[in-house]
Amino acid sequence: MTETAPDPGASAPAPAGTPLTCPVCGAAVEPGQAFCESCGSALASSGVTNAVDAGLTAVEQDAPIELTRPTSTAGPAPAEVLVPASRCLACGSEVGQDGYCTVCGTKAPIPRDHYVEQPASWVAAVCDRGVKHHRNEDATAIDAQQEPGSRAVLVVCDGVSTSTDSDIASLAAARRARDVLVALRPTGLPNPASRAGAVADALESAVAQANEAVLAATPEGGPDAAACTFAAAVVEGDLVVFGNVGDSRVYWLPDPGGSGMGAEPTELSLDDSMAQARIAMGVDRVTAENGPQAHAITKWLGRDAPDIVPRTGSVLLGHPGWVLVCSDGLWNYCSEAAGLGELVTSLSGATASPLELGEALVRWANGQGGRDNVSVALARH
Amino acid sequence: MAEFSATVYQNEFLPEGGTDVNAIVTITCTNAGAAGRTGSGDAGEIIIVDTSGSMGRTRMEAAKQAADAALDQIADGTWFAVVAGTHQAYLAYPPVRSGPGMVVMDANHRFQAHQAVQQFRADGGTAMGQWLTLAGRLFESVGGPNGGGLTKRHAILLTDGENHNERPDQLSAAIASVVGRFQCDCRGVGVDWQVAEVRRIAQALLGTVDIVGEPSELRAEFAGLMQASMARGIAAADLRVWTPQGAQLLFVRQVSPSVEDLTARRTEVNALTGAYPTGSWGDESRDYHVAVRLPAKTLGQEQLAARVQLAVGPDVVAQSLVKAKWSDDEGLTTRINPEVAHYTGQTELADAIQEGLAAKASGDEATATTRLGRAVQLAAATQNAEATTRLRKVVDIDDPETGTVRLRRDVEKADEMALDTASTKTTRIRS
Repeated sequence: MTETAPDPGASAPAPAGTPLTCPVCGAAVEPGQAFCESCGSALASSGVTNAVDAGLTAVEQDAPIELTRPTSTAGPAPAEVLVPASRCLACGSEVGQDGYCTVCGTKAPIPRDHYVEQPASWVAAVCDRGVKHHRNEDATAIDAQQEPGSRAVLVVCDGVSTSTDSDIASLAAARRARDVLVALRPTGLPNPASRAGAVADALESAVAQANEAVLAATPEGGPDAAACTFAAAVVEGDLVVFGNVGDSRVYWLPDPGGSGMGAEPTELSLDDSMAQARIAMGVDRVTAENGPQAHAITKWLGRDAPDIVPRTGSVLLGHPGWVLVCSDGLWNYCSEAAGLGELVTSLSGATASPLELGEALVRWANGQGGRDNVSVALARH
Repeated sequence: MAEFSATVYQNEFLPEGGTDVNAIVTITCTNAGAAGRTGSGDAGEIIIVDTSGSMGRTRMEAAKQAADAALDQIADGTWFAVVAGTHQAYLAYPPVRSGPGMVVMDANHRFQAHQAVQQFRADGGTAMGQWLTLAGRLFESVGGPNGGGLTKRHAILLTDGENHNERPDQLSAAIASVVGRFQCDCRGVGVDWQVAEVRRIAQALLGTVDIVGEPSELRAEFAGLMQASMARGIAAADLRVWTPQGAQLLFVRQVSPSVEDLTARRTEVNALTGAYPTGSWGDESRDYHVAVRLPAKTLGQEQLAARVQLAVGPDVVAQSLVKAKWSDDEGLTTRINPEVAHYTGQTELADAIQEGLAAKASGDEATATTRLGRAVQLAAATQNAEATTRLRKVVDIDDPETGTVRLRRDVEKADEMALDTASTKTTRIRS
């Protein structure tokens, strides 16, 4: 699909001798660099193909079903800029011009290390570096229509930390997948089962496209090819279609007090991991998830990916609650759906703001030690 | 237009559980301009001369020459006055009984001021508090064309004796009443004045203190002081230190060109920021040592420990950031910052000299020997050759490395006083 991309040589090269800076965060960048090292933004003036632009055209050509294309995603909108935190993550006070909190002095992270997305009041994502890691290799990319409960796309990708460009890979993958899932919106399918099938097909396309985005965004060669996981949920009214590659997860967390089908917190996705393989062999979850190589994943996106077909599924939601897509930075500290449901209930309290809940979940995970990057994407049902 | 810059020297890495952050901040001013000539207001200078009976004929003549030399350095257009001090304070020039007690320097006033100085007669006692009070009133009496008054106010004070005609609490009250109203450089001539007493005035009024051993040296000293003051185009600036909520600001010190503890001079800008007056600025560099205690954070965390700024009026003209990063890398956390170490040593040197001399004066030779020995050790370690030279005049040094010294029996009083007044002068680090 990359052959539809503009010839790299056609891009105007930067004038020699001029120091290049990222238009988003102002960090110094090298000529020919595709993405900013600091904030991960795509560098339009670099000699490298803009992956998102090139991909969208291809999706339309390959589209297996009828499409509608919301105007809000007609290309990499300015909303793609990672928004730096204006409030201190530690105390909520104002961040000064010098990049430190004006009250507690905590260093404000660069946008790539902590960013939030909220395309609509009922949908939000928070992506955070965590405490222990030096870089945020997680990425989120989400989209939603304004009408609460209408349509939302939640994508989380977790970069595999043994490779150098996983932060670039995960962001490229998440954004591409999100764009594909927004573009491939089935219409004229009133039957939920048919729609679920169409969206599941779209998820397969999205993963394939995301994989292409990883390849386009990261260099070839070297022993450690950039790689990342993939987890996504598409919410259409009561229907949730989900898919994953690797160990990022999709949960359904209904508000407590309901009964019947879908009234219990549920882990919808199934990890592609050594731990999950052991669980399948009968080892209990706690033992399996804390055993040797528990975090080794058996599927991923990237140049050396063995298999990029996602495991997909769908459910119909009959209760109010939260659809949560997250990386292991969160579920490491609360793997069981029931426990996660209780956590969400206690953190969401009276407010039903997905952004506040997302920030609260990230704070909670960091409070537990923040051993890994933390990503949460939430849609309120 | 004056330009300011700030540079920070520190080891920002703290070990696990580490709480204390030390930093040296160098603030440099260039293009300061001339006093009263930068459009930010008028400058005023007052020359205060001790005319007590103890001055005698020789010192009185030297003091007159010194006052003349200082008058010659005051630029035309600068407000000025001359005060003669005994157990009372007299306005020697201008000869006015009401209205502003200062005049604007021109050829005529300069000539008449010289004439007035020639009338000085050594007679009466010493009450420096009164001199300061009068100087304060004179500065206040100038309304300025817009009623704004003088923005830069500086005085030179010369004394030769102890403050016999005032109780210490009277002097303290007088000093307190003029703090922040003008700066004052103080000089003592001869050996009959008290270094601690005069230092108290100079420190409170953001000035310097020194001994002028020989009356003949007074003239050059006063000319130099006035020349330096005329070159300070920035009338006043504050050092501002922000520390995060929950932090403890352990101290704020000027450490170069001399050691001055500013900690207690804090006025609040806001709950997290204190302002410390630094007086007027010419083209110069000053170093400040800031120490902050933070609640320890987890390894890998980074935070700001202090924002150190210089503010001219409401404007922050320079800022540097003091940081803290918790790390488990011992190679980083155990590194000693040379600037911090150097000035920590120089500060202790000043304390050791002052304590040693005080002990010696009170007859406690054991303490005097220990403290002056420590001073010798520190002076050697921080390569402060001037301090070593001055210390040699007071102690015989057996071993500078261990600080083994013997008190000398044949000490000149002037040498001891010179060691005392110069104790706070620091050397810059040699890299």
